[in-house]
Amino acid sequence: MYLVADISVEICAATSCRLCTQFCPEANTILYNNDAGKEKGLKYGSAYVAVDRCKGCAQCVWVCDNMAKHHAIKMIMIDQLPKAALTDNVTYGEKTTTVQLASPVIG
Amino acid sequence: MSLDYVKFSTGFEKFMPKEYRDMVEHGPFGKKVTVSQMGSFKEILEEHPMCAGCAMTLFIRLAIISFPNPEDTITVGTAGCGRLAISQAAIPFVYGNYGDQNGVASGLARGLRLRFGDKPKDVVVMVGDGGMADIGFSGTLHSWFRKEKFTTIMLDNEVYGNTGGQESGMTNRGAVLKMAPLGKKFEKMDMVGMAKIAGCAYVATVVPNNPRRVESVIKKAVLIAREVGPTYIQAYTSCNIEYAIPTDKVMEDAKTVEDDRYKFAEYITDDAKQYLSERYGYKEFLPKPATAAAIPQA
Repeated sequence: MYLVADISVEICAATSCRLCTQFCPEANTILYNNDAGKEKGLKYGSAYVAVDRCKGCAQCVWVCDNMAKHHAIKMIMIDQLPKAALTDNVTYGEKTTTVQLASPVIG
Repeated sequence: MSLDYVKFSTGFEKFMPKEYRDMVEHGPFGKKVTVSQMGSFKEILEEHPMCAGCAMTLFIRLAIISFPNPEDTITVGTAGCGRLAISQAAIPFVYGNYGDQNGVASGLARGLRLRFGDKPKDVVVMVGDGGMADIGFSGTLHSWFRKEKFTTIMLDNEVYGNTGGQESGMTNRGAVLKMAPLGKKFEKMDMVGMAKIAGCAYVATVVPNNPRRVESVIKKAVLIAREVGPTYIQAYTSCNIEYAIPTDKVMEDAKTVEDDRYKFAEYITDDAKQYLSERYGYKEFLPKPATAAAIPQA
C-alpha cells in the first residue's frame, strides 16, 4: 500500500484558500468543488484529491500546514480511505468540478 | 496552431478518451485562465513520469497555465528531465537535439512570422541548465545576439539530474554531487548577466514558491517576445533526488534558496515597458506624470 493526500472537507470548506491546488506538481490532481461544503452548512467549497494521480509527495501537506496554517491535509494509506475521488468520476463544470466518490481500491 | 485543432473530428466524439473530451469541453483554449482558478478547469499538462514532489514539474505546470494564448503556442525542449513533462501537454512540442533548441526555435519563430504575419504565434523554449548553459550555450547566446523573438526559460536545478548527478555550469561552487565527489571547482555561471549583455529585452529570475509571480513573469516574457526582442527567465527548480531534499520540504528549500541566492529580480528595457503599457495596458509601466517636486521652488 502507499500514501496519498486526504483533505478534510470540514477544515477546508471553512477557509477556502485554494493554495494546495496551486502548489501540487501534478496536473489536475488537487481539484476544487464549489459546493462541497454547502451540503454541510459550511461557507465555502473544498479541495479534494484525485487519488489515482497522487504520487504522495506531501508538498500540499507542507503548504497547508506552513503557508496556509490550516492543517487540513494528512497523508493516509490508500486502503484506509473508504471512499475517494478518482479521475474517471470527475465532472468539469463552469468554474468548478464535481466528483462521485468511490472505493479507491479494487478487489 | 489554432482553436480548430482543439475539437472533435465529426463522428469520433464518443470514441475519444475522457481526458480528451474534458480538454475540448473544459480546457483553457480560447479562454483566459489564471493560477487562482487552478483545480477548476482541465489543464493542458497531463499525467507525466516526473519524480514525486519535483519542483520543476510545478514550475512547468504553472508556466503552461500562464501562456497568454496556449492555442497559439509551441514549446521547444531538449534532453533532460523537463521534456518528460512538457511533452505530455496538449500543445505542440518540438524536441531539439541536445543543445540546438534555440537554433530550432529561431527557425520556427521566423517561419511562423512568415506564414502567419501579424497574428501572434508564440515560441517558448523550456530547457534545463545543462542543455542551455553547457551544451547549448553557443546556440543560446547567438540567438540572443541575433535578437530572435522568442522566450527562453531555463529550468535551473543546478545539476544533471537526468543522468545521475554530474555538475553543470549552473551548479554552485563547492557543491558535492554523486558524480562530482570532489566538489565543483568554479562559480555558478551568470546567465542573467549574459542575457542582459546579449540584448534580451526582458530578464527575470523566479522561484516557483510564488505561483502568481511565476504567472506574471511568464506572461510578460511571452508578450514582449512577440515584437520587442528575446526574453529570458531563469527559474530555480530544485532536484529533490540529487540534492536529497525530502519531498515535503521542497517548498521550504525553495524559500531558503530564494532568500539566499535566487531573489526575484526583473530587468526590462524601456522599449519593452512602452510596448507592454501601450499594447497590453500594463499600468505599472505607464510613464510617470511629472511630480510637483520637479518644479523649482521660488
